[in-house]
Amino acid sequence: MFDTPDDRRYMESHEWTTTGDGPVRIGITDFAQDELGDVVFVELPDEGDELAKGEEFGVVESIKAVSDLYAPVSGTVTDVNEDLFDQPELVNDDPYGDGWMIEVDPSDADEFDDLLTPEEYEEQIE
Amino acid sequence: MYYDQARYGQNGEYEPLLSEKDSTTVEVGGAASSAGGDENAADGDGSPLPDHLTRDSLTLPELSEPELARHYTRLSQMNWGVESGPYPLGSCTMKYNPKFTEDAAGDPNAAVHPDRSEQSVQGTLEVLHGLQEYLGRVGGMDAVSLQPPAGAAGEFAGILVAKAYHETRGDDRTEVIIPSSAHGTNFASAAMAGYDVVELPSDEDGRVDLEALRAAVSDDTAALMLTNPNTVGLFERDIVEIAEIVHDAGGLLYYDGANLNALLGRARPGDMGFDIMHYNVHKTFATPHGGGGPGAGPVGVVEELAEFLPSPRVRETETDSLTEPGYELFEPERSIGKVHGFQGNWLVLIKAYAYIARLGDEGLADASAKAVLNANYLGSRIDYEIPYAPFHHEFAATAGEQDAADVAKRMLDYGVHPPTTKWPEFVPEAMLTEPTEIENRETLDDLAAAFNAAASEDDETLATAPNRTTARRIDQASAARDPRLSWHALESDGE
Amino acid sequence: MTRERGRGSPFAPHTAAETAAMLDAVGVDDEEALFDIPDEVAFDGEFGIEPRGEAEIRAELARTFAKNDDLTEFLGRGHYAHYVPSLVDHLSLRSEFLTSYTQYQPEITQGFLQALFEYQSLLVELTGLPVANCSMYDAATALAEAARLAGRVRATTGARVLVPEPAFLRAGKRGVLDNYVDGTDLSVETYPMDDGNVDVEALSELVDDDAVMVYAENPTVRGTIEERIDEVAELAHEHDALFCLGSDVVALSLLREPASVGTDVVVGEAGVLGLPTSYGMGLGIFATREEFLRQVPGRLVGASEERVAPGAERNGDGSAAEASGRRVYTLTLQTREQHIRKERATSNICTNQAWVALRTAMHAMYLGPSGLVELAEDCVRRAADLAGRIDDIVGYQAPVHDRHHFREFAVRCDQPAAAIAEDLEGKGFAVHVVDEHLLQVCVTDANAAHADALVAAFEEVA
Repeated sequence: MFDTPDDRRYMESHEWTTTGDGPVRIGITDFAQDELGDVVFVELPDEGDELAKGEEFGVVESIKAVSDLYAPVSGTVTDVNEDLFDQPELVNDDPYGDGWMIEVDPSDADEFDDLLTPEEYEEQIE
Repeated sequence: MYYDQARYGQNGEYEPLLSEKDSTTVEVGGAASSAGGDENAADGDGSPLPDHLTRDSLTLPELSEPELARHYTRLSQMNWGVESGPYPLGSCTMKYNPKFTEDAAGDPNAAVHPDRSEQSVQGTLEVLHGLQEYLGRVGGMDAVSLQPPAGAAGEFAGILVAKAYHETRGDDRTEVIIPSSAHGTNFASAAMAGYDVVELPSDEDGRVDLEALRAAVSDDTAALMLTNPNTVGLFERDIVEIAEIVHDAGGLLYYDGANLNALLGRARPGDMGFDIMHYNVHKTFATPHGGGGPGAGPVGVVEELAEFLPSPRVRETETDSLTEPGYELFEPERSIGKVHGFQGNWLVLIKAYAYIARLGDEGLADASAKAVLNANYLGSRIDYEIPYAPFHHEFAATAGEQDAADVAKRMLDYGVHPPTTKWPEFVPEAMLTEPTEIENRETLDDLAAAFNAAASEDDETLATAPNRTTARRIDQASAARDPRLSWHALESDGE
Repeated sequence: MTRERGRGSPFAPHTAAETAAMLDAVGVDDEEALFDIPDEVAFDGEFGIEPRGEAEIRAELARTFAKNDDLTEFLGRGHYAHYVPSLVDHLSLRSEFLTSYTQYQPEITQGFLQALFEYQSLLVELTGLPVANCSMYDAATALAEAARLAGRVRATTGARVLVPEPAFLRAGKRGVLDNYVDGTDLSVETYPMDDGNVDVEALSELVDDDAVMVYAENPTVRGTIEERIDEVAELAHEHDALFCLGSDVVALSLLREPASVGTDVVVGEAGVLGLPTSYGMGLGIFATREEFLRQVPGRLVGASEERVAPGAERNGDGSAAEASGRRVYTLTLQTREQHIRKERATSNICTNQAWVALRTAMHAMYLGPSGLVELAEDCVRRAADLAGRIDDIVGYQAPVHDRHHFREFAVRCDQPAAAIAEDLEGKGFAVHVVDEHLLQVCVTDANAAHADALVAAFEEVA
């Protein structure tokens, strides 16, 4: 029922990340946006901020819920999706595409291995 | 009748916003201001102040009294109150607000300034003292302060009392334990006082999980905040043991008075082992909710904590008269100080006093009896499941596969105010329903019919409701994504 | 219909027959069977509260309130009396307003929401700031919430909140502020005043980069009007601190617009319009800049649209196939609030002063812009006039501070102030005692007719 692209890794707290050496993109899953309902506000870190794996990096708000965002991997924030400040609905419309949140230059490639595979994540949300 | 669009929605228009009606700009100031600031600028019809101390202009609607009277009358007609029909909003205790209490509060002799000398406001102090007494008896508390202007302010004051108590004993405690099912204000009040919040899960019966409580208490526990009956209407039957666990750990027990309407004359927080409580006089004692307030949240404590209560309180004093007692303000010895700039919501307190006096022992006990009977009767008539019982003055039904918020919108179409929805969160799709004692059987049957009609309807019907209200379903996302919070914001939007 | 006239609640409509039928439907014999209360905590005693009839209680309260001395009050210092037009009582007491609660179902509470939106708009116009909430409890709690907001938005820079010295900040207001910051890292410190205005030079020595907020009042609690308020704001901003201004809705109609002097948060008292003298009950103002929108405490009403137009086609998910174009109102940005964000909420406030806000809006709209400005100008004229007349009496100097005044002013007296106040009380007047030889007098449209008599009384007790 929910889209879970197989080219990324997931967290139990419903964030996704692309994988690889270069900057990776991070956002929330289709399941998460559906649970939240209409997203109305997104708070994101600044470019250049250092994130540790599992650390809070922002907040996503719908009309009646607030959810913290957790970093899937450690690294430096290299880009922030500023479109979300004016169009938070992109998170609902296209959670894996235009609704991405930050780009991070990962500092430890091994951390990806600890994340959920698409199959494992789908199992979790069933 | 209420939903008559032809009456309130002519040509698809609502009552126009005031800004759209002949706003006028008034120039302010304009007096010649000499270099040194002319002290005589106040002469004549000009501005009494030099220009550099005044604003330039003020732009507001300029309406005649008849226009304004129609404006506010129309707005009132676009609003649902307890007198419009049933208002079973769970945890809010939407009772009928007796008219005479309003007149009592309007007594011109009660309109005194808070800085009046004590001897010149003996009447005011006597009523305050009388209410302190009444509330103490009803809650089983030894001392009461009337200052907190709302329930949440009462919570904050009460937690500050707990903090002062521990600090006086040199006891450094950092945590307040709160069941996950508690009112959001509990968490916020404890955090405002600087405490870490420890959330306690409910057990499968919907009550405090004793094992979890034992595991949660420690030398760090300053207090446990508890609502009883809890937020799904269940009495915490283990309250004596709960009190023991908390007290043995050196903590205090705080009673959230939101649900006191279930217990009047049958149980008192003080007898259950609670050390501190707040009263919601706009719930239990029928003072009007006023579209969101003002309420009042007096705080009561056991003897040992009386010295920490907010200041000032009122006490009897010696007088020359043999028959007439006198009253004075005093500061409790180790008072936490103030939670309101003056003495709280005085006009609300008068209404609470008048209500309690009207009911007396039997009336208060009967109010609880009928509130609990009404909830149980209504619960027995609806098709939705109620997972937790035996409940008292309110119940949490579950909408099951339906969306509780949609059910609520559909109930609007059947001419009733819906219950509180999607809370408490541990009940899936919760519909927290509190009819209070004021509804008769026929109205409860109407309410049940509204529930049951919605229960049998399909998702699309629910999702597109309401259809018969003054406004159709409002776009919450649009309001939050693009906040427009004044008529100025609408103008700059080009609306 | 035969109605049982027992001693139950007069506001529970059940007849005996109805009660019996309902108990039967529930399947219990009596009401007590519905209470699941263990014996060990059951209360079988009595409160000892005798029920009385409506007339009896009104007579009792009327007798009790008549024990309050009938004094003409020349009192202010944060709680002010202006004549409240009859329209305010008659319309605000309409039960649809009075007996409703927070607008959780906006589709049937458009009326109150629109009135609150109009109230917010009034505050936006008066302050020049784009965000105003629809109420705090009073001026003291509003100031305290402002300090907490400053702590949140300036958390990294420091923790000092600077407020006027005790003589220029009511103890009650300071007390509330102290309690609200008790659970934070913030510390409250004072700066001195100079003849009734902020001592800007002294303040400049005190403000440093650890300051998160500077608070000043205009008019001050002694009625003086600030002459260098913009410099105070500038000082705060130089050190990246917020400038918070305390005022009231009448003063704001005349004095410099807060936004134009660089104010970040306006707090203060709005109940000066709409509320009669009520032993300190109030309505707190809270207005601020757009950038702090998500840190605002309390309820906010916003404009929106209907998702479905009446009679219009609609999509399956309820979204509008055709927009109605009608403007509607709703509570918004509620994720800031306690019922959603719990311990991380911007404030614990839930029940507020909405009905007072309705009354304030009614009173302000009744006056209109010219009426408001006129009322405010009279506050300056009357204070200057009465101060001059008291100053003419041997034994008094008024106003004490060489400033413009709003509504009230301090009076220095050769005799002990307490003794004079007591003598004045004996003659039917109430004034403030603020220090050993300092009185304070407040004059508005509500007591101006008695100003001659007050002056005469001052002469007699001098």
